[in-house]
Amino acid sequence: MKDTAAEAQTREIIVDEVFPHAPETLWKTLTNGELMARWLMAPTGFEAVKGARFTFQTTPGGAWDGVIHCHVLEAIPNQRLVYAWQGGHPENIGYGAPLDTVVTWSLSRVAGGTRLRLVHSGFSSPSNDSAYKTMGDGWKKVVEKVAAISAEDKEAPSAGETK
Amino acid sequence: MTRAAALDSVMRTLADPTRRAVFERIVKSDEISVVDLTQGSGVTQGAISQHLRSLKLAGLIVDRAQGRNVFYRAEPKGLAPLVDWMGHYGVFWRERFANLRTVLKEIDK
Repeated sequence: MKDTAAEAQTREIIVDEVFPHAPETLWKTLTNGELMARWLMAPTGFEAVKGARFTFQTTPGGAWDGVIHCHVLEAIPNQRLVYAWQGGHPENIGYGAPLDTVVTWSLSRVAGGTRLRLVHSGFSSPSNDSAYKTMGDGWKKVVEKVAAISAEDKEAPSAGETK
Repeated sequence: MTRAAALDSVMRTLADPTRRAVFERIVKSDEISVVDLTQGSGVTQGAISQHLRSLKLAGLIVDRAQGRNVFYRAEPKGLAPLVDWMGHYGVFWRERFANLRTVLKEIDK
């Protein structure tokens, strides 16, 4: 894991928040299929057991069918859940491009609740990176802003629709 | 239009620095008129109108007529070909954390 060369080429997303609930409650929400459907997406075949394979159906893009293929890498009740998160298609650029990442959930008890940390790692430099460079840095900010707008735009919890 | 063609069209449209500046101003405002866009831009209203046509054609903006005025706003979906996975999931997870908070509130009463 701690390969510095690999780290230099990949990037990660981290979200870290404290919830006013017990770790047990959070664990249940992270690992119960019906509850997952209510805040994340409805999984097919999920089990909080190492090796379990499951999928999520998301919006297809270009040559990609929109299926996220996952398998559980680690499951320590009330503490840690790690799964591989893979999808995409080599013909695509941007959304729908090949994706080989890992989602790690860490739970720790803190005063007044549970600290939940999500690390979504393994994003390689996207194939449209050169395009970004051509546009300059100011452009990246615009894209981020617009991405935020589009998130507000589709309030509906279903990750499936649009086009 | 295939994804590659869509990307090409968006890139080509935004390759022009003036047009890109026009687009960035539209993104920053909720809605903006040609007159407001022209002010302080250093180019004529005719040139701005031309850029607006290109941006509209590429699906990057939409317009709304109100009386004699036309207002422009950004069309977030137009940029979809440019948004990479990381940008996508950055927004995705923030949204999901908000959902999670709501679900937890409901089940943990």
